[in-house]
Amino acid sequence: MRWWRFTFLIILVAVLQTSAAMNLLSLTDLRIKPDILLILLVYFAVYCDSYDAVIISFALGFAADITGAVMGPHFISYGIIGTAVAHIRKIILLKTTRQQALTIFITGILTEAVALVLAGLKAPGLAKTGVFEVVAVATYSAILWFLIKWLVGAAGKWLGVGVHRFGTRIDER
Amino acid sequence: MARVRFKPSKLTLFVSFLLTGLILLLIPQNVTSRLNFAFIDIFSFFLNIGSSAAYYQNPENNSPFSVSRHEYNRLWVTYSNLQAKVFEQKRQIDQLGRVRMTEPDPATGLVLANIVNRRKNEFIINRGSADNLKKGQYVLGDNAVIGCIEQVSADISSVKLITSSACKLHVKISAPDVNSYFNGTIQGDDKDGAKILNVPKKYKIKDGFYVYAAPKPGILQSPRIIGRISRCVVDETNPVLWDISVKPAYESDDIADVAVIVIKTEPD
Repeated sequence: MRWWRFTFLIILVAVLQTSAAMNLLSLTDLRIKPDILLILLVYFAVYCDSYDAVIISFALGFAADITGAVMGPHFISYGIIGTAVAHIRKIILLKTTRQQALTIFITGILTEAVALVLAGLKAPGLAKTGVFEVVAVATYSAILWFLIKWLVGAAGKWLGVGVHRFGTRIDER
Repeated sequence: MARVRFKPSKLTLFVSFLLTGLILLLIPQNVTSRLNFAFIDIFSFFLNIGSSAAYYQNPENNSPFSVSRHEYNRLWVTYSNLQAKVFEQKRQIDQLGRVRMTEPDPATGLVLANIVNRRKNEFIINRGSADNLKKGQYVLGDNAVIGCIEQVSADISSVKLITSSACKLHVKISAPDVNSYFNGTIQGDDKDGAKILNVPKKYKIKDGFYVYAAPKPGILQSPRIIGRISRCVVDETNPVLWDISVKPAYESDDIADVAVIVIKTEPD
């Protein structure tokens, strides 16, 4: 894993996620937008070794918090659930795109549910996301995975991940 | 001698991060929000790329007899504010005829701010406590009240729009039929409108009535337009109340900068 490149990527995605340009992808008057950080969370949890996945999950959670309004909830929820996905993929391979899309959907709902509860404890006025919105964002992100899988895969390879765990790792070649 | 590289175990790493997360969660919101604001401050240039894209992509109409939707909305808002002002001044003249009224010094200051980031039902603006901004102050966009200040740091603030359920304001509903105002409280519906709560059905309210932000000492000195009633039906859960929906006077995508109403206090 090339950590400097990862830092650059995470900043880039955090800025993109918050930028007005993402409004071009928004749907309905609820402005449902895909969550790219969530997609990355599942991608890295599936393709990285579990040690790196722990660091990456918390780092992505920090990025999700800093682009939002409350610090802490996503850091914890992404960290716990990303680590859990990294362990689950030892049992279920999650090789196919459909399985990964389903994982994004479930992870999206779980991370937001945990984050909402935690945000409600810290700043009740800022934890206002509705159930429909949480499900819609998770669904949108899962569908988008089919379209941007190659792009995320290319970014992963640039970072030194993306080789299947049963294959030869880049740094072992 | 070979250097020993420190590499904590997976469990140690996980627990350390988890404790960090709990500490972040326990630190008060007004402290951690500085991190959020710092992020927006640093990347504000990139965050605004693509804003108002839809508006500026509209082809210009060269006909002298028609104006753009944005221009129409701006003129309508100005007209509504003038109408409210005239109504208020008429009332004051009536009162002055009976008693000499000592009008307080308006001393109202406007702090102009640019929108550095747009979130759902929320704007982040590039002014903060250094410009005398405080929580609860009203924010104008295209001369209409669009929301109020929610969080403030030294040079950046967040504005909750009236379409947000976190934003509750006292309002006056103009009733031209009876030449009066009805009072109420507006709250966003978290979509693109707002509701006026707990208005008794005995008040004769109709679609199209204008809704104004009510004057509030230290916050707002005269009524300011918020929007107009788009739907007024009997509340299904409580038939003695109205279910009033309000369409805001502004289009959030059209607004590039805002003005915060800051009432200047006289030094002792």
